[in-house]
Amino acid sequence: MTTAIQQHLDEIREIAAEVLEIEPEEITETSSFAEEHEADSLRAIEILARIEKKYNVEIPQAELPKMVNLRAVYDVVAQHAGWAA
Amino acid sequence: MRRRVVITGLGPVSSVGIGTEEFATALQQGESGISPISSFDATGFPHRMAGEVPAFDPKQMLEHLDPREWGRTSLFAAAAARLAVQDSGIDPAALSRARAGSSIGTTSGESQVIEELTAQWVAGSLKDLDPALIRATPASRLAVAVNRELGLTGEALTLSTACSASNYALGHAYATLATGEADYMIAGGADSVCRWAHAGFYRLGALTEFVCSPFDRDRSGILTGEGGAALFLEPLESAERRGARIYAEVLGYGLNCDASHMVAPDPVSIAECMRRAHRKAGIDAAQVDYICAHGTGTPANDAMETQAVLEVFGPKPPPISSIKSMLGHTMGAASGFGAIASALGIARQFIPPTINFRTPDPQMPGIDPVAGVARPARLRVVQNNGFAFGGNNAITILGEVA
Amino acid sequence: MTTEPSSTSFPPPEPLYITGWGVLSPLGDGADEFSDAVVEGRTALTDVSSMFEEELPGDQAYALAEFRVRDYLGRKGTSFFDRSTALALVASDRALKDTELVVTDDNRDQVGLVLGTTTGSIKSTSDYSRETLTQRRPYLVNPVLFPNTVMNCAAGQAAIWHKLKGVNATIAGGQLAGLSALRYACRTLRWEDAEALLVGAVEEFSPHTAWATHLATSPVPAGEGAAVFVLETAAAVADSGRRADAEVLAVELATADPERGTEAAAEVFAQCIRRALRVAGVSADELWAVAPGSTAAGRIETAALAAVLGPAEPVRLNVAELVGECHAASGALQIAAVLAHHRSNPTLDGCPALVTSATREGTVGAAVIRGWHRDRGDHGQ
Repeated sequence: MTTAIQQHLDEIREIAAEVLEIEPEEITETSSFAEEHEADSLRAIEILARIEKKYNVEIPQAELPKMVNLRAVYDVVAQHAGWAA
Repeated sequence: MRRRVVITGLGPVSSVGIGTEEFATALQQGESGISPISSFDATGFPHRMAGEVPAFDPKQMLEHLDPREWGRTSLFAAAAARLAVQDSGIDPAALSRARAGSSIGTTSGESQVIEELTAQWVAGSLKDLDPALIRATPASRLAVAVNRELGLTGEALTLSTACSASNYALGHAYATLATGEADYMIAGGADSVCRWAHAGFYRLGALTEFVCSPFDRDRSGILTGEGGAALFLEPLESAERRGARIYAEVLGYGLNCDASHMVAPDPVSIAECMRRAHRKAGIDAAQVDYICAHGTGTPANDAMETQAVLEVFGPKPPPISSIKSMLGHTMGAASGFGAIASALGIARQFIPPTINFRTPDPQMPGIDPVAGVARPARLRVVQNNGFAFGGNNAITILGEVA
Repeated sequence: MTTEPSSTSFPPPEPLYITGWGVLSPLGDGADEFSDAVVEGRTALTDVSSMFEEELPGDQAYALAEFRVRDYLGRKGTSFFDRSTALALVASDRALKDTELVVTDDNRDQVGLVLGTTTGSIKSTSDYSRETLTQRRPYLVNPVLFPNTVMNCAAGQAAIWHKLKGVNATIAGGQLAGLSALRYACRTLRWEDAEALLVGAVEEFSPHTAWATHLATSPVPAGEGAAVFVLETAAAVADSGRRADAEVLAVELATADPERGTEAAAEVFAQCIRRALRVAGVSADELWAVAPGSTAAGRIETAALAAVLGPAEPVRLNVAELVGECHAASGALQIAAVLAHHRSNPTLDGCPALVTSATREGTVGAAVIRGWHRDRGDHGQ
């Protein structure tokens, strides 16, 4: 995994941890926000909103259902921000 | 002993009409009050429609308050109250000598005043704020504006329980009269369109672009709205004594709290609130002829409200319509407008429609939203729903005077 | 028409009792700490200069300078609370710990909350509005903070935290919020909408309230705090054998339009106070104390009290001198101050006190309350 990907993952992990009120270490790439970290729809939208602000991207809310864990969020953001896969 | 309480005056200041006749006609014809936003600069927002009341001219409507000293929402409340008193036919001088007060609901209080102060803060600093605007800020001023406009010396209670607040206010006024603590009460609610609510609902994905279509399969959210709604209440005995026209009787109300989530409504708790309202009003669900819905037009609200209705009323509930399809979501005034629409429906024998309805939602079987235009019907008992952020559920039950 | 009740066939209202209470104030956390501070006459004035990034009108105010909600309630579920919500939640937690009433699945549908406010958290609302003006796009606001912009946020969050599914009401009353909430709660219990209610009021300290207080030329700087009382019916108290800290004998509200002149407004206020005393069955010379309101409507309140009290000279509890200009929380803190004196002093048992309050706009109110002492270690501790 390249450093750029790792850095983005870490940044998104930091955002999600703050919104979900847990420590970043508790979030793995595949741990479910809803089931393992008690995320509700409001918090899911908050994560999206913070990512939009940080990376200056627009992510349609239609993408929300896909954003179930860290890896999935990264993939959605990467697609809309044009990060090289 | 508890006195029976009736509604003898209506005061709608709304985007589809000001005063009882304009409002009733608009309800019957299914008019829309939605227009491009003019009360703030909506540039930069992808969605730019709302249910504003550009025709509102407080100077024309108010006899006592100086509009320069009050925020838009207080002026909505006071103007609506003035209309309701005129509509009731009571002598204003006698009213001001009586034991009379008001209870007014709101979501955001003097939101436009707060936004003006915030703009001053952004442009300069907090120390540069205009003291006159600071004085106009407290939400408590809504009910005070009503009392001072009408010269009432009783209590002035502003209930800030968000989007069900008018039903709280109506319930409080009714109980206060029933127990003899006052002899006349104004109840209702008021709110103004504001930038922060528009932004917040948009960001939640709850704001639609052009039309609000409650109960439709393709509904996509609310439009924010504004206005003032007031009802004049008195004991039945007093209304009969002065030969007043009676719109409807207040039969009771039910209040409870989801206590589960600030913004996601809980259908089980809402069903319990309906049962509580029926119990307090001394009726059975089967007696309800029409439900004036909370019906915001968001996918979540209407699905949840339907679920609760089906739970309480069974698979064939009475007609249920949403006047938010016409007015937008007038926030703290919403259930006040609902109460006015319900009272008019009872008095003039029609069911207000849901406009913009095209396609039934297969997920919501059994729902009759009274699409398009009003339907003639004798309404003996009406249920008026109000739900809110904070899980603050409030339902009022109105009826024909039997 | 007359100003007296048109009908005499209504029974006297059912007695209502306070069975526990909680405060969060710079004067103390919980009823005991707060009581000690009030009896000693301590003031809450403290250095606030490092609380916020924004400039404040002065370095001193009546605030909880070190307050962090997570120190009281933990991090989980609390990090997006605004200050009003946090203060109300802690005060209601303390009230529930102070009463013998236990909220369980059997009664939580019948236990609710009535909370007084001025305009909710004005900081939350104004900061949210500010974002729409300063962000790259006006809609780039934080969804999770949106509920903080509604005035019933504190009451809704407190209901969630304590699982109170009964009536949940927020009263916007400014200085009168405490008495308005108490009156609404009394009416709600007597209408049998609930069996028990937490009732109180909250105000937060922020740069916004500090400047608003300063620019409104308040004689004392802004303060903050929350006070919450557990109010129950006589039947509930009798059935459970719980002892009461106080009885609410009367709460009366009125509107005294200041535009009609100080004299006329003071007369309406005086009538309101007399009505409260009449309902309570108490004469002015029986009062052991008067806790007048804050600083907003000083002259009218002073004149009204002088007219009602005549030669009687009850103790004056000037609560604003201890807690500052606490706006919506003022009335609830005045009641708490009365109960604070009762709490450790058996010689005051059963003696009635008068609490009055008024806003600049002309809403006025009076409550009559009588309290009893507690032996330390009494119930709920």
